Amino acid sequence: MPQRTLLSGNEAIARGAWEAGVRFGSGYPGTPSSEILPALTELGDAYTEWSVNEKCALEAAAGASLTGARCIVTMKHVGLNVAADPFFTLCYTGVNGGVVIVCADDPEMHSSQNEQDNRNYARAAKAPVLEPSDSQEARDYTALSFRLSEQFDVPFILRTTTRIAHSDTPVILGERDVPERDCEAVRDRQKYVMIPAYARKRRRAMHERTLALKAFAEETELNRTEPGDGKTGIIASGVAYQYAKEAAPGASFLKLGMTWPLPEAMIRRFAESVEKLYVIEELDPIITEQVLAMGLAVEPLPQTLQFGELSPTRVAAALQGEDPELSGDSLPPRPPTLCAGCPHRGVFVTLRKLKAYVTGDIGCYTLGTLPPLQALDTCLCMGGGVGQTHGILSACGKKDKEVAVIGDSTFVHSGITGLINIAYNGSPAVVCILDNGTTAMTGGQDHPGTGVTLSGRPGRRLDLPGICRAAGIPNVEVIDPRDLKQTEETLKAAMASDEPWVIIARCPCVLISRDRKPPYQVDQEACIRCGACLRIGCPAIAAEPTDDPRKPRPVIDRSMCVGCGLCAQVCPQDAIHVAEADGAED
Amino acid sequence: MVTNVLLCGVGGQGIITASKILSEAALMSGYAVKKSEVHGMSQRGGNVESHVRFSADSPVHAPTIPTGEACMLLAFETLEALRALPQTSPEALVLVDERRIVPMSVNTGLAQYPDDAMQRLEAGGRHVHVVPAFAIATDLGEYRAANVVMLGAASRHLGITSEVWQEAIKHSVRPRAVDSSLKAFEAGLAALAGA
Repeated sequence: MPQRTLLSGNEAIARGAWEAGVRFGSGYPGTPSSEILPALTELGDAYTEWSVNEKCALEAAAGASLTGARCIVTMKHVGLNVAADPFFTLCYTGVNGGVVIVCADDPEMHSSQNEQDNRNYARAAKAPVLEPSDSQEARDYTALSFRLSEQFDVPFILRTTTRIAHSDTPVILGERDVPERDCEAVRDRQKYVMIPAYARKRRRAMHERTLALKAFAEETELNRTEPGDGKTGIIASGVAYQYAKEAAPGASFLKLGMTWPLPEAMIRRFAESVEKLYVIEELDPIITEQVLAMGLAVEPLPQTLQFGELSPTRVAAALQGEDPELSGDSLPPRPPTLCAGCPHRGVFVTLRKLKAYVTGDIGCYTLGTLPPLQALDTCLCMGGGVGQTHGILSACGKKDKEVAVIGDSTFVHSGITGLINIAYNGSPAVVCILDNGTTAMTGGQDHPGTGVTLSGRPGRRLDLPGICRAAGIPNVEVIDPRDLKQTEETLKAAMASDEPWVIIARCPCVLISRDRKPPYQVDQEACIRCGACLRIGCPAIAAEPTDDPRKPRPVIDRSMCVGCGLCAQVCPQDAIHVAEADGAED
Repeated sequence: MVTNVLLCGVGGQGIITASKILSEAALMSGYAVKKSEVHGMSQRGGNVESHVRFSADSPVHAPTIPTGEACMLLAFETLEALRALPQTSPEALVLVDERRIVPMSVNTGLAQYPDDAMQRLEAGGRHVHVVPAFAIATDLGEYRAANVVMLGAASRHLGITSEVWQEAIKHSVRPRAVDSSLKAFEAGLAALAGA
């Protein structure tokens, strides 16, 4: 047996790209896609970068492709919304070096704000889509898609989902093979300058290309039939194929590796060969509707199957026409929380105290909406909170409670334009940049605000206060969010002001700095069980039951406490202190 | 015959590393293997689950375990063991660290931590054994190795040789954690000697 290596789907994609001689990799971190570029960087040989956002990443790849370089661009599903502008027109111009756009969908929204199915982009942009169903296919399809991108002169979408990206399965590796290229930007204005006269010609060329891709879909080994009992026929792709194989091992299968455009003749032949035809797909019924449009009979499935992640169990039920609701248990839920010592906590404790109306954003700090903090009122998209607070103020005037919060990486990604809009149109907005010096939620990637690049080369560090002032914000203050007094005074001044403010709450993420000070403990004699420390939502403080159910006893877990001291600052009795080095457990 | 092992607990307990060691060990043993977990937001102190599936003689299709088919549950926290229990088969072996990490929903008074968690775990007729992995690891001076203690306890039921376990540990943990991890594994193995 050849040597097998256990790789996640993301590592396998990086490997496939490396083997195909990729020379340029760009992207923005987003679960479940974040591990691809670091893995590619580790393999070496290619230029890689974390770009400011997905649009920058794709535009840079479009440029690199002009030189003949093979390019990979990685993002989560919603990242393609940000990159949609260059994406749609890149499908008009086509490519020189192959371009593969990896977008990782997140069925079940494990770590996302929506559950969009990015296969919908394929038809809209006329871009072909490959869907691997394990890590071996992730490696194989990635490597193949660069060649196909060049053959058909179009960027390819490699669509993964959480259970492909973050599942480890064995992979047989190959060698790196770099195609010979001139390494000079090709000049072909009728192809690369999309003024209307040239774009109209390209629109027709796209149609010819789609016809060629349809013919290719009929013959490629990416799509294959697997004979079975002939009674139940299942069309499936991606991880849904694996679930269906588990649920109905004896069925006949049409396994689609390429899900746009579809192999119509192949599908018709398959439909004729089986008694009942099912299409098993996660999220939107995209293949289903196209098969129905071919005039073929497809067994109806419960519409609820379009929500959330599939599983072997759900697919087995679906083949019986059912999608039973999971009976929820009565156990206490354990939602994610801000970490012990998280610097965001000080800001949210203060915003709650000041009864602020907080427009939020995408990042760890979105967790500030959950009990007990409950100090974040909206979360729309990257940079959305900055725009929302401006809209609230512009529509209804200032009520001295509106605050936008946004992380440092998110601010650079999509908050800067919103801030310029605030300054230009003159709303007295308060924008609080939660600057923890990293892209925390996705695992701690660097960004322009840290000044460290993906490859480790020093980059130029973005001056956050400087860019806010340059945008036209007259009041820019940097505070330490672990100092509750300073945080409250600054927020109060900003919220009462009739000018725009930016408050930069600067303190490193505890997961990055690993800054552990001696843990705190509660002096149980002095504690009056008022619950103030429990209301800061620190996971290191547990509420232990007492005789009075309304007055639990707060106990600090020393293995979790990092010694930030926020609980001591909110204690009205001064009953929380740094623990004695060898003191008794409290 | 596919062996389905479910690992569960709270973000930060080393569950993802434990499942990496287990899946590497299965691969080194020549088995078909798949492992699946979720990263990102759920890791921030939320409940974490990792699925490891392997087989010597049949393909493994889905990366996640069909409901009710986990034959082994490695639980690093009592409430999370209870939450994961419906995913296990009626004959499953359940190894649980009787540790109590209070979730925010209990701290805020919205829910109560079940006092009878252990009784409810045992009520289903599954083979339940307590493995004080965190306490054992703390005694060894490295509480972060509780995940490997648990693997040691599980190891005699998984048909993987001790040489392979050692290789898998060396392959999967940081170089400076290898020695403490190997010790933790042995301690876990000894802890469940009678079961």
